[in-house]
Amino acid sequence: MPSASPFNGPGFDFTNQVRNAFILEKGIPLPKATSTGTTIVGCLFNGGVILGADTRATEGPIVADKNCEKIHYITESIRCCGAGTAADTEFTTASISSNMELHALSTGRQPRVVTAMTMLKQYLFRYQGHVGAALVLGGVDSTGSHLFTVAPHGSTDKLPYVTMGSGSLAAMAVFESYWKADMEREEAIALVTAAISAGIFNDLGSGSNVDVCVITAAHTEMLRNYSKPNERVEKERAYRFRPGTTAWKSEEIRKLVVSEQVTPIGGDAMDTD
Amino acid sequence: MPDMAALAHPQQRQFNPYSENGGTILAIAGADFSVIAGDTRQSEGYSIQTRYAPKVFRLTDRAVLAVNGFAADGNMFVKKVKQRLEWYRHAHAKDMPLRAIARLIQTMLYARRFFPYYVYNILGGIEEDGTGAVYSFDPVGSYEREACRAAGAASSLVQPFLDNQIYFKNQRPAAGTSHPAHLPLPTVLSIVIDSFTSATERHIEVGDGLEMYVVLAKGRTLQGLEGIRGMQELTATEDGERVFIVRRDLKRD
Amino acid sequence: MFLTRSEYDRGVNTFSPEGRLFQVEYAIEAIKLGSTTVGIRTPEGVVLAVEKRVQSPLLESSSIEKIMEIDSHLGCAMSGLTADARTMIDHARVTAQNHAFTYDERIKVESATQAVCDLALRFGESVHDEDAMMSRPFGVALLIAGVDELGPQLYHTDPSGTFMRYDAKAIGSGSEAAQSELQDKWHKRMTLSEAQKLTLRVLKQVMEEKLDQHNVQLAQVTPQKGFEILDEVKLQEIIEDM
Repeated sequence: MPSASPFNGPGFDFTNQVRNAFILEKGIPLPKATSTGTTIVGCLFNGGVILGADTRATEGPIVADKNCEKIHYITESIRCCGAGTAADTEFTTASISSNMELHALSTGRQPRVVTAMTMLKQYLFRYQGHVGAALVLGGVDSTGSHLFTVAPHGSTDKLPYVTMGSGSLAAMAVFESYWKADMEREEAIALVTAAISAGIFNDLGSGSNVDVCVITAAHTEMLRNYSKPNERVEKERAYRFRPGTTAWKSEEIRKLVVSEQVTPIGGDAMDTD
Repeated sequence: MPDMAALAHPQQRQFNPYSENGGTILAIAGADFSVIAGDTRQSEGYSIQTRYAPKVFRLTDRAVLAVNGFAADGNMFVKKVKQRLEWYRHAHAKDMPLRAIARLIQTMLYARRFFPYYVYNILGGIEEDGTGAVYSFDPVGSYEREACRAAGAASSLVQPFLDNQIYFKNQRPAAGTSHPAHLPLPTVLSIVIDSFTSATERHIEVGDGLEMYVVLAKGRTLQGLEGIRGMQELTATEDGERVFIVRRDLKRD
Repeated sequence: MFLTRSEYDRGVNTFSPEGRLFQVEYAIEAIKLGSTTVGIRTPEGVVLAVEKRVQSPLLESSSIEKIMEIDSHLGCAMSGLTADARTMIDHARVTAQNHAFTYDERIKVESATQAVCDLALRFGESVHDEDAMMSRPFGVALLIAGVDELGPQLYHTDPSGTFMRYDAKAIGSGSEAAQSELQDKWHKRMTLSEAQKLTLRVLKQVMEEKLDQHNVQLAQVTPQKGFEILDEVKLQEIIEDM
């Protein structure tokens, strides 16, 4: 375990808080965080739970990543989709994943989904919404299949089908139209894919591909890029530049291979017999 | 009962008459043609209002106007420009020349200096001397004739690309050669298509459809336009300039 | 007690039972009292010439201004109540400048002429209880010369607000004789120099005084140099060349 630093306390470092508030007052905005303006969903089915997510990450109106992963690992049979500030969802799920592993080791049991949910909500509540993570948590444990949403302020819901993120309304529209209890695996995967696709095509914050994760008691299957409805089209022209296209101000060529003349001094050459 | 505590303080309410509806437009002038293009997505925030809302409009057989920004203002502005063109035709018995339309647009925009049309305009077409031309405007009427211009949501992505590919910025010609002043039509169309497919990849407000208008100078042959997929002729008068539209699909995510 | 023209010539906006507006017709009559003015269109440009009636040896003939510039490509000569022409020319100048400001191009000769004629029938008009701006028709006819994308053109306007395009036109007191002379002499391929001489020759025939550089004024509009009033030196050269 790393020793506690005499200079830095545990947790967040607030030393620049006053300075940043001052800078903000002067009219210089804070750097924009990458947001996963996202569609994420979860759905219970006969035998487990399915999570789904799109793969677009944005910085304002710009697509920062066309194929990012939003379904995060918590434990082998618990996964968590994240929407909101990318750094917060990544850090929070990774941190809870660590704590879940420690929890498993110290208890000697497979941890439950409610445990992860409780840890997440307590963590998020402590930061009063400043940690901008909106999550869909799903998994299978000794008590069965469970599906939760965790909002940035720490409130939670437990429902048979849930959606989160900027595409949540588009996705929920699909669920509200077609969801039914005790679906079979393939049917549920198709529904989740349709819900995510609704987000991809109707919500500008969501896009690119569909990631699906199917969790059953026996097995967790991460179906990365389960559907790819937005392949990039081929360009009309080739944009290759002739060598020497870029102008330069001065040229200096350095020889990186150094040869050295070694002259033996005194005595005979070594006898190598 | 009203909240008396809140009423004790002065309150300010504000109505914002403007909105921003995304999308991107661009235009490139050739030696004897002009290409004016725009995507067809109209959005507000993270919602798509429609996947087909044209931003590019044929004004005359030699002038095409692309309008981007606040869609309601844009549509109204185009309507008013068209009305002025008709009045001009009645008063002066001819179609308004391109540079006259450019100046008219300036006066119309500047007339609203303190309650502007929230739009960026790009006017493309053929001048009286038969050359291809592009005029670009800011929302209050500052304008300039240029060889190419991009405006709208993805202008910061597309303009540097055009600077490099049309003006050959940051490109040194091979020894003993020089860059061409004007590119041929097929090359320009390819650059326009690539601009929009690329902007669609990286800008969330660009996509759904692409409309490219091509204006050919009087007497110019189709040369390089024949058999282009999705092309349709819109020319209204005989033996003058010719106007074509080329439509393409863009990604819808 | 009824005269031939009875009471119908009193109101400027009253038609006679025969369907005539007498005040307008009288205004047209007023022009026939004016000094003779001639205009000729050629493929090289348009020439305008006016007779300046120098009624007194003490009158500075150079102060008689009967040809005026509307824009760099438009000129105008007048006959009749020349003071009325100021209003019309002011309006034409404003219209031409507005056109250049709004459209970044020169106004067409016909459009400028139309703008002037739009004014002609504004007499007796009033809004609500305001007084009418003009009480009577203009008593002046104009020859508007100009060059635009359709080439050199010559227009004639009269107090009724009617305008027509001419190859050559004479107005004013000597107009009848002058017009028949123009009809005789004008031809399609006339040069500018021929036109200059023809205008002066026509004026000479109808003028009572002997024509010289002081009692006529000559102006021209060409595609190259636009509107220009020829100075007395140049005028003298042309007169000598006649």
